[in-house]
Amino acid sequence: MLADRPPFEDLYREYLGRIYAYIRAQVGTSADAEDITAQVFMNAYQAYARFEARNTTPSAWLFRIARNATLDHFRAHGRRERLRRTIEHQPMAEEDPAAEAEDRIQYRALLHQVAQLPERQRDAISLRHSGLSFDEVGRLMGCSEDAAKMLYHRALKALREAVHKEGN
Amino acid sequence: MSEPEEELELQALQRQLDDAMETTRPRPDFEDELWLRMQTSRPAPRRLGDAFGAFFRGVREVPAVPMAAVAAVLVVVVGVGILAYSGLGRGGGGATSSSLSAGADRNYAAGTFGRVPTPVFNGTPKDTQAPQAVADASSGEYFGPAQLIWTGKLELTITAAPVFRYHEPSTNTADQFATALGAVLRERPAGFLGSYSASDYTLKIRGTVQSPQASPAFFIFASLSMPAIEAAGAGPKDIADIFLAQHSLSPQWSYTVAVDSNGDPVKVLYEREFDVPGSGPAYLIDGGGKHYGIEVDLSNNRPVLVSGLLPVNPDVAPYKIVSAADAIQSALASGGQGVSATPSPAVKLTQAELVYVLVPAGDHSFYEPAFLFSGSFQLNGKTVVKRVLVPAIDPTLRTP
Repeated sequence: MLADRPPFEDLYREYLGRIYAYIRAQVGTSADAEDITAQVFMNAYQAYARFEARNTTPSAWLFRIARNATLDHFRAHGRRERLRRTIEHQPMAEEDPAAEAEDRIQYRALLHQVAQLPERQRDAISLRHSGLSFDEVGRLMGCSEDAAKMLYHRALKALREAVHKEGN
Repeated sequence: MSEPEEELELQALQRQLDDAMETTRPRPDFEDELWLRMQTSRPAPRRLGDAFGAFFRGVREVPAVPMAAVAAVLVVVVGVGILAYSGLGRGGGGATSSSLSAGADRNYAAGTFGRVPTPVFNGTPKDTQAPQAVADASSGEYFGPAQLIWTGKLELTITAAPVFRYHEPSTNTADQFATALGAVLRERPAGFLGSYSASDYTLKIRGTVQSPQASPAFFIFASLSMPAIEAAGAGPKDIADIFLAQHSLSPQWSYTVAVDSNGDPVKVLYEREFDVPGSGPAYLIDGGGKHYGIEVDLSNNRPVLVSGLLPVNPDVAPYKIVSAADAIQSALASGGQGVSATPSPAVKLTQAELVYVLVPAGDHSFYEPAFLFSGSFQLNGKTVVKRVLVPAIDPTLRTP
């Protein structure tokens, strides 16, 4: 094992939750998020021998795999299917509401709004709030750091509008 | 809304997004389940390639591996009959082996289990695909139809081989195994007999899986508090030995050790063998051809995942097996019929090996002998390997 490459299990334990949250913010159901998360780590596990820490951080590397897997998911299901899932999405139906704290339910509704944003806006918000810097977000999305900031702020305002609309 | 108010609102929204992302996590069992899938559920063609690759790498790294284990041609030189089984389980293990389990020895009987179920193997020819579509590039395995020709040498003079039968382990069996390890029952998740907690690991125990076939097994998922095993000069196998001994998990059956240290984690595999009187050890393989038994995965000398056969205390009975000629004929007949526009490739099978496979059958399942034939050939300029498994038990003693 290379000295600059941590054991894969450490990456797995550290990033599983964050990667899942990033994916969950974009797809309609926990089941889809689990499937895509599983695919991400399966792929990462098999490719880890080729990972070179001097070229990228483990975080950026994993999020790139996650982003590609999420995009593949949407391509595979098509926009029509995504819309159907979004429309049919019942945020409260998956688990026992009594077991959920009120703020948790509120957050889930918020992520539901994120999932309905246009693709690049959704991506910018999900990546940024997964703990990535604007530089990392820009690299993953194929744009500059400044462009990533602008995209993010536009997305944030769009999200605020959506939340307002939902509240009215 | 004024600009400062709008800014405050956006900041509040950002905090909510941070909190939402930090509190959105998968269900509690997902982490362990996915780790298990990553370790054990790779695609069959890849598993097969890894298994053979790991095995041969292990052979290079472990000089003590008996040469019989890598013999290209199965040569059984002593003709024995059913009566010769009186010696079953009385030694005969190699340098790295123990003999058959005491339970198997105790339960050995001259009777039979009646007609036993016929094994179903993975990797059967995919008739409707062109040859290049069924060759796995990473493993070099070929799964498509082929015109098979036998050019090897199979001298088989034994006429019978042991069949092992075990009772499906219950939750009680699993609980006893866990208790012996000092682990406490946590829950009984779907697909497992139990999930247990110990101070520095989670233990899960699973019964027989019908499809794809998998033996009753235990899985130890180390928590991050699992300490590394420090032993001066110890290699991966030594560390795995220490861990297994510390937890009373050392194999009670014959085995050969293979070490795959090409990646992280390093994998130490104790490959189970069945002693076949008059023939020698025969590996236990899964539906894809992979040797298995107990696997200890080490990362920086720290066990991260230990998985292996759950002890099942099998009964054993001798069964008549097919002749070498019949085995070869069955292998050649299993090539499949190519129906695509591309003709099936001609493949020379050059090697054969007696192996054991799991045959799930409800309350009682079996480990039965089979023949693993193989041969390599060129496909689109690349060398690929064709493997064929055929049942060894006489057809009259098997259910269709």
